[in-house]
Amino acid sequence: MNQKENPMSEVTIPTINFKARAMELLPEGASFEACLTCGLCSSGCPASGLENMDPRKFIRMAMLGMDKELSTTPWVWLCTQCKRCQHVCPMNIDISQLVFLARGNWPEEKKPAGIVRSCQLARATDSTSAMGLPPQDFVFVVEDVLAEVQETQPAFKDMVAPMDRAGAYFFVNQNSREPMSEPDEMVPLWKIFHLVGADWTYSSKGWAAENFCMFSGDEAAWYEVVKKRVDAVNALGCKVWLNTECGHSYYTMWNGIQRFGLEANFQLENLVTCYARWIREGKLPVNANWNSTGIKFTVQDPCQIIRKAYGDSLAEDMRFVVRSLVGDENFIDMQPNRSANYCCGGGGGFLQAGMTEHRRAYGKRKFDQIQATGATYVLTPCHNCHSQMEDIGHHYGGNYQVVHFWTLICLSLGILGENERTYLGPDLASLGL
Amino acid sequence: MNDRVENTMIQEARHFETDLAVIGSGLAGFAASTFALNRGIRTAQAGNTGAVAYTTGYLDLLGRVHNEDVCPVTDPWQGLRQLRQSQPLHPMARVSEDDLRAAFREFTSFISDCGIIYNAPGQFNATALTPAGTLKPTLCVPATMQAGVDALARKARCVIVDFKGLRGFSARQVVANLKDTWPELRAERVLFPEMETGEIYPEVMARALEVPAHRQALAERIRAVVGDAEVIGVPAVLGMHNPDLVMAEMMRLLGRPIFEIPTMPPSVPGIRLREMFEQVFPQKGLVLIPQQKVDKVVFNADDLQLSLSDNFGPITIRAKAVILATGRFLSGGLTAAIDGIREPLLGLPVTQTASREDWYHLQYMDKRGHEIHRTGIEVDDKFRPLGENGQPVNDRLFAAGLILAHQDWIRGRCGAGVALASAYKAVEAVQELLR
Repeated sequence: MNQKENPMSEVTIPTINFKARAMELLPEGASFEACLTCGLCSSGCPASGLENMDPRKFIRMAMLGMDKELSTTPWVWLCTQCKRCQHVCPMNIDISQLVFLARGNWPEEKKPAGIVRSCQLARATDSTSAMGLPPQDFVFVVEDVLAEVQETQPAFKDMVAPMDRAGAYFFVNQNSREPMSEPDEMVPLWKIFHLVGADWTYSSKGWAAENFCMFSGDEAAWYEVVKKRVDAVNALGCKVWLNTECGHSYYTMWNGIQRFGLEANFQLENLVTCYARWIREGKLPVNANWNSTGIKFTVQDPCQIIRKAYGDSLAEDMRFVVRSLVGDENFIDMQPNRSANYCCGGGGGFLQAGMTEHRRAYGKRKFDQIQATGATYVLTPCHNCHSQMEDIGHHYGGNYQVVHFWTLICLSLGILGENERTYLGPDLASLGL
Repeated sequence: MNDRVENTMIQEARHFETDLAVIGSGLAGFAASTFALNRGIRTAQAGNTGAVAYTTGYLDLLGRVHNEDVCPVTDPWQGLRQLRQSQPLHPMARVSEDDLRAAFREFTSFISDCGIIYNAPGQFNATALTPAGTLKPTLCVPATMQAGVDALARKARCVIVDFKGLRGFSARQVVANLKDTWPELRAERVLFPEMETGEIYPEVMARALEVPAHRQALAERIRAVVGDAEVIGVPAVLGMHNPDLVMAEMMRLLGRPIFEIPTMPPSVPGIRLREMFEQVFPQKGLVLIPQQKVDKVVFNADDLQLSLSDNFGPITIRAKAVILATGRFLSGGLTAAIDGIREPLLGLPVTQTASREDWYHLQYMDKRGHEIHRTGIEVDDKFRPLGENGQPVNDRLFAAGLILAHQDWIRGRCGAGVALASAYKAVEAVQELLR
């Protein structure tokens, strides 16, 4: 980050005693001193080398008491806290919690403004929307889009998008990007709910998915946002908080509820799990017949829901869904994958942090992974992954599209509307219309 | 088998029912699971990241019978006969030659089928190159390293190419150590495409070479320095997921054989193996819970239960038999404290020196090796760990790999031999128990 451009650059970053704090954070019996300096962490980290730092260096510097350097290195904003370093570490050392600590230690004025602003906006309204969309606007957009679909797509004239319906089974959250800038992208998911007969509702409060307060290292703000969401679900008495195709929204909620000891009278579930279940139960009769030309697909495992939360069980569900949608022979896994997958570089607030050059350098490894598959489409249930993979695709000259699951599900079912095809390439833009 | 519960805020344990549980994800653990899968035994494997990512990729059977031997073993099968005479307690002394051959054949054929081609075990050790340019005896090498063994044997005109920014591998060092016996060897350094500055890692280079455009670019740079070399040696970076394809493509682009030399850890051949197993095992129906240490094992009359947890919460595995393949100090299978060495998971007795003072000789490189390397747990011929009374601790408990006492895999160059032999016999005993 270029600190010269920061008008508040006279504010200094306090120095943390990393070694002492690390010792406090560790579970009993664990030790950062167990680090063998083998370098598996750095070797497997896309942020290695950026700002002349890598995970191994970070841990060694902490052990050597180089607190001032670590307290001020901008690298903590280039590490996405994806936890791959811990995943491959024979000693299971968690470096990301030190990065979280360091982020929180930066004065607000010095943190990347985009992350701070996204957190502030989330706290500014009852929506908890990082784009600042207030409840009444969200309600309006949903009603407006729904009315248009009911009118223009006769097959969905009875479709609903309930708001604040107490006692609904699913409380469905929503990434702000759709109601803010591409409202038609909400429709495919509604159609899926309509088709399977899901008992669901949106809420005018606490409906938003994204939560950049965690990425800003601001624990109090993270708590505040999660608390508002938990209260909203509890208030409606829903059984399940159903997380949309968004990675970190799940992690911040799931981890936050445990971390802050919140009383959540509901279960958390991921859309991918539901897609898989509905396909298995025959409620979503998808097939790959539409893919008669053998278009190849790969899938991106979002760190926040696979490695950092559910683990490989959700990764398996995801593959089941993709294979059902595109045909076994048309699915090519990225290498490595599942819990060992690389972060794309869109997480951790990187997309919002304004450090474009670094973010693209980080994303080069993801780009290569995608190129190695030869696939022309990437599916991912995460908005940050989605944006980052699109951006690096354009930047490095890739020849692939990134699509949401809901797009492909509706495409396969022949119910994808004309305005719901933003992310399809020319080869699929008019298929089934 | 996998009856996953819904993901709730109330953490419910995920529970797996299986026949065999394997604890450990090093070579012995992966081998045990391989043998079990091939025998149709329902298996679950857990255990944190083993040292597999540190391996050279060579599978050694036996390189030295006695630590002090000056010459390495040429015929490892002959060596094993000597080992049986002189070290009857060595884990490999409990395994017949036929079984050992079968274990190596089965394991190398499994990993070859899964996409990392290895040569089948032969009668003699190959002489293979190390990252330092020294030589070591080994039985099986990955196909990507075979041309190096052949080139060394016939002292072919060869260029070793390394990369600016890659630590832990120096072509000049390799050449300097071999030049006396291999005059037609020379060193070159090139810039790896798109990684021209800063520290670079073999893992990253290997993954980059999975992309055709990067292979083209690298081949161009190597072509510029190849001269009249008949064969090209590079550090082990020829792909991660498709090494044999990457090697073949590089050969095609360069018009001559190319081979890999292992690098210092973290090394690609080990990461290749780990990622391959992690991918293939679940596809073959094995329940794999990678990267997590088992916290507790409780034996019941008819079965046993393992407890562990991952990011998402607690997990239990109920099985009929368990193979302990938790490795040595690095992997946590053994722990050393001021008052002695322990096996921390089950509290099994550990055979060790009377005093801590006897763990090491004064010189690190002492040719006799160090006594601490021979510490470990005792087993019977079925590879069941023994208690203080010399009797099996439990009929359902087996052990495999380097946790076993009476072997010094470092000086003996027998790491894979101990792992495969013990895993093979332990799985055979499990099969008998389950019958």
